[in-house]
Amino acid sequence: MTEKQDVWQGTLALMVLKTLETLGPLHGYGIARRIEQTSGDRLSVNYGTIYPALLRLEQEGSIAFDWGVSDNNRRAKFYKLTRAGRRRLDAETREWQRTTAVLARFLAPKEAGS
Amino acid sequence: MRALRAFLARAFGVFGRARQERELAEELEAHVQMHVDDAVRAGMAPDEARREALRKLGGFDTTRELVRDRRRVPFLESALRDLRFAVRSLRKSPGFTAVTIATLALGIGANTAIFTIVHAVMLARLPFQEPDRVVVVWETNVQRPGRSNVVGPANFLRWQARATVFRSMSAFYDFRTSLTGSGEPEELVAQAVTPDFFATLGVSPLLGRTFTPDEGPDGRDSVAILSHALWQRRFGGDPEVVGRSIVLNRRPFTVIGVMPAGVGLFLKNGSLVGKPPELWEPFAFRPEQSQPQGRYMSAIARLRPDVPLEQAQAQMTAIASALTAEWPQFDTGWGIRLVPIHDELAGEMRPVLLVLFGAVVFVLLIACANVASLLLARGTTRVREIAIRTALGASRTRVLLQLMTENLLLALCGGAFGLLLARWGVQLLLALSPATLTGLGHVRLSAPVLGFTACVSILTALLCGLAPALAGSRTEVQESLKEGSRQGTSTGRARRLRKAFVVSEVALAVVLLVGAGLMLKSLRTLGRVDPGFRRQGILTARVNLPSSRYKEDPEVMRFYEQAVDRIGALPGVRAAGAVSFLPFAGLAAATDLVIEGEPTPPHGQEPTTEVRVCDNGYFPAMGIPLRRGRIFTDPEQRRSGNVVIVSEAFARTYFPGKEALGRRISVEMADTNPFMEIIGIVGDIKHADLSTEVRPMTYYPVPQLVYNGMTLTVRTEGDPAALAPMVQRVIRSIDKDQPLSDIRTMDQWVSASMAKERFSSFLLVLFAALALLLAAIGIYGVMSYVVGQRTTEFGIRAALGAEASDIRGLILGDGARIVAAGLAIGAPLALLLSQALTKLLYQTRGADPATFAVVLCVLAGVALLASYLPARRAARMAPVEALRHS
Repeated sequence: MTEKQDVWQGTLALMVLKTLETLGPLHGYGIARRIEQTSGDRLSVNYGTIYPALLRLEQEGSIAFDWGVSDNNRRAKFYKLTRAGRRRLDAETREWQRTTAVLARFLAPKEAGS
Repeated sequence: MRALRAFLARAFGVFGRARQERELAEELEAHVQMHVDDAVRAGMAPDEARREALRKLGGFDTTRELVRDRRRVPFLESALRDLRFAVRSLRKSPGFTAVTIATLALGIGANTAIFTIVHAVMLARLPFQEPDRVVVVWETNVQRPGRSNVVGPANFLRWQARATVFRSMSAFYDFRTSLTGSGEPEELVAQAVTPDFFATLGVSPLLGRTFTPDEGPDGRDSVAILSHALWQRRFGGDPEVVGRSIVLNRRPFTVIGVMPAGVGLFLKNGSLVGKPPELWEPFAFRPEQSQPQGRYMSAIARLRPDVPLEQAQAQMTAIASALTAEWPQFDTGWGIRLVPIHDELAGEMRPVLLVLFGAVVFVLLIACANVASLLLARGTTRVREIAIRTALGASRTRVLLQLMTENLLLALCGGAFGLLLARWGVQLLLALSPATLTGLGHVRLSAPVLGFTACVSILTALLCGLAPALAGSRTEVQESLKEGSRQGTSTGRARRLRKAFVVSEVALAVVLLVGAGLMLKSLRTLGRVDPGFRRQGILTARVNLPSSRYKEDPEVMRFYEQAVDRIGALPGVRAAGAVSFLPFAGLAAATDLVIEGEPTPPHGQEPTTEVRVCDNGYFPAMGIPLRRGRIFTDPEQRRSGNVVIVSEAFARTYFPGKEALGRRISVEMADTNPFMEIIGIVGDIKHADLSTEVRPMTYYPVPQLVYNGMTLTVRTEGDPAALAPMVQRVIRSIDKDQPLSDIRTMDQWVSASMAKERFSSFLLVLFAALALLLAAIGIYGVMSYVVGQRTTEFGIRAALGAEASDIRGLILGDGARIVAAGLAIGAPLALLLSQALTKLLYQTRGADPATFAVVLCVLAGVALLASYLPARRAARMAPVEALRHS
């Protein structure tokens, strides 16, 4: 697995967690669609990459799933946040904000620093 | 934590694969369907919608593959694949696999067997509570440094009263008793113990109770505790045995308890009986025992929890000094030594076991070298296979891991078979081992032993597999795949490695052979030592007359006189006699003496002598020659005449250059010791075993000091063992309830005294033979290989006119160089390591030139033979055939 993918997997995980926090239990298709819409179609990736990410989050204990029925009456896996997942989301959100804040300051135009 | 959890989930992801795949397919199908539904609702045609959904997903199968990768651990997956591949590849070469596993099984099995014994004897916990707090208390004498002496009761009572470092101190002594009543009368070894003995030792009974503090004095001593073994053997493990009445020495006793299996204390250095006790009776000190006289007991003590051994030893040394001042006559030159009980019990076998363990590790190393050599050879035939795998993209690490998986599999199989071998090996070892070894609890394959075998197997795989695997994985793809190339470039390195392995095998074999040679020489030297009597053709049997029935001396004397007379009259009997302590059968009496007319020596330097009570028949029965003077007269044998016979060593030591006959001595055996005249001088005999020096000896006639327990000695014309039933019948005819015990030939006693030496030399010889065999196989293997490599060269040589003998010479020369290198490394190593053996050798030096010469010759011969066979094959090959070979 290359480094680039690792970064993508990391951010994807955070987006999945955030989606589940906002929308509650949801199936893989719904999560993928939601991420695509929220990112304003700028993050155009294959929906398929969501599934290894979901499996990893599940293996790490951040999410769990139940079999349920979708709006249009299809049997589907519904993922939901676990308590550990919620904690992780909080921690990683904070971490992410700190990083972006640092980077923002770092990349800001020169006159802002003096 | 999260990573670990994920790893475990993935590791277990191996299981339930089918269900996971089904669910994944279902989930993805639902995904696509939902996508299609949305698109159709938005107005797309169903066909197009599906295509679009699949495109957006990134392909159905690709997604499944992505998830699958995430599902499991690639490393574990490939390890399993490697394992399956290893099994297949090993099954394809059954010959190689069988030889390798057999070699490893021998090495690992031998190691496991020895480790099992080492573990039981040296490492396992004794079945006592906090056994490291228990010490054995010995007396020591400046004249016999390093030796442990039994304890005087008077001293013991003083120690007990003064020592503050112990929680408790207990005394005990072993004696013979007879069990009659139910079934055959049987003589048993019993241990008389002070009532707190079991508390000091730290054991609780399996059934019933231990002795109470008031049990012991006469009238309150008719209680007994059975050992587990006796309980099983004589009472069939009856759970109701507590409270039962039994007859010991013709007196009724009540059984009050049974000890757990393996519990007991047998101190070889302190036992007058020489066998582990099977039951316990309580005793209390009699008033006269507080007077300083005689040493014949053993003592143990339990240290207070906060007291280190050194502190206890310091206090006891101080107490000993004080006692020397109070009782100079009794205690001058005497000290006290505390020995941790584990050291006392394991002490005798420890050096032997360490040497054997070292030897068996060498055997394993040789086995490893052989297997490594085999693996290298196999590696060269697999160069192409590996080159192809490398060409197809396998990294060097992957190839290395694959090869190591194979090696590990081989080693673990070897370990499994080795365990099987070890099971038999341990049985064999126990059957061969001296009694002192088996006296120590249960020896069996236990968890630590299994762990040891597993570790050794893995270590073996690393040891013998790493070098070949490294060599094998370093393949030049281009070279090896070239048309016509039979072997890769790594073979030059491999050949050198193989030779190095064989050189080290030879070197290790030298060490083992030298060790075995030295032990054999020592054993032979010991076996040839003259014990001073003629050991063949003597039957011995122990009689112990119960004092409850034979109360007066004349009754005892009449019994033995009758017994010796009747046995002497049996057909096939040349002479019969009786003695108080048979040589080679355990400790015996020894004491100080006073010589009439000599100045009194300072305290602690009194002359000492061994003391035996015997009749006239004893000397001819044993074959002890009368040197000067006479033996006892008949009246002297009936009634005390104050006469004694002494040994030559006695005369030499105490009357150097003077006449001993007619002189008078007083030996401190009893309360009053009259002066007795020396009437005869007989030959010296060894008493304890063949290796100890002869000590001055005094022989009393029977009336001088009547012993209830004597050993009958019978010299026979034919096989002495065949006479045993008749001797038994004679004893029954005198007293039908009287058992005989230790019915053995004198030769058996002498042999038994060499059991430890025989045990260690047998095993060392076995290991050395194994080493020699493995080394020979190794040399044969590498030389065959060399011949195979150089076939073309030999063909050309032969075609150019080289004789068969030239080619044979070439190969033999090559072999000889390897062997010479091995010998050159092995000989100094053996010289160095044989020093470790010195302790076990009898009158044999570690650097024994004869042994070294024989070993080097044997090894050189075997090595040359092993390389001669391939050499002959090479020399016989026709040139054309050899050339076509390329």
